[in-house]
Amino acid sequence: MTEAMIRKKAGMASVKDMPVLQDGPPPGGFAPIRFARRIPNKGPSAMAIFLATFGAFSWGMYQVGKGNKIRRALKEEKYAARRAIIPMLQAEEDERFVSEWKKYLEEEARIMKDVPGWKVGENVYHSGRWMPPATGELRPDIW
Amino acid sequence: MTSTVDTAGEPVPTSSLLMAAAKHIGTKCRGENLAFLKCKKDDPNPEKCLDKGRQVTQCVLHLLRDLHQNCSKELDAYAGCMYYHTNEFELCRKEQKEFEKACTL
Repeated sequence: MTEAMIRKKAGMASVKDMPVLQDGPPPGGFAPIRFARRIPNKGPSAMAIFLATFGAFSWGMYQVGKGNKIRRALKEEKYAARRAIIPMLQAEEDERFVSEWKKYLEEEARIMKDVPGWKVGENVYHSGRWMPPATGELRPDIW
Repeated sequence: MTSTVDTAGEPVPTSSLLMAAAKHIGTKCRGENLAFLKCKKDDPNPEKCLDKGRQVTQCVLHLLRDLHQNCSKELDAYAGCMYYHTNEFELCRKEQKEFEKACTL
């Protein structure tokens, strides 16, 4: 059925006289709505925030400094222990090196004994200081 | 590490044992250490500093033997802890305190 048959008014001449069907406000209108900003102005001030940040930062740096001191003391303990031990280790290595070097010199003399110009068993730089033998091998016992 | 002594009963100077006794070595063998280091600074040739090196080795080995005789249990515990924690002092504080209480510096 058409709308005219549902909503008709008695004595209607045309469809244009039909009573309107609209969605509208309730009688008396809607309640008033607030849409204005009301941001509150309380809370910590700028100086308070700055002081709190500065305080947290300085307390943190103080803790870092304390931890660094402790860590430096631990490292110093380890280094002092190494300093105490190293002459012993160097002395043992020197003994081993001297015996190996003697064997090496004997081997060199045996190999080069027929070469006319070969002076002596030892043939190093001319600066006068002792230099460790430069064989290019990092750990000859492994290789 | 099964034991700190070799077949003759002498303590073997492993790295963990040396690090455990490092404070004692630093005080008791200080003269020999400094003499050896001075000799090395003057001439790095190993053959020139062999006698001072032998003095250093003798001092350290005698010291290890004395420590092993006086407080062997604490020394073994401390060296074993060092061996387990690869020479980290901070992880062996308990054994270190026991050792220094038994064999004072």
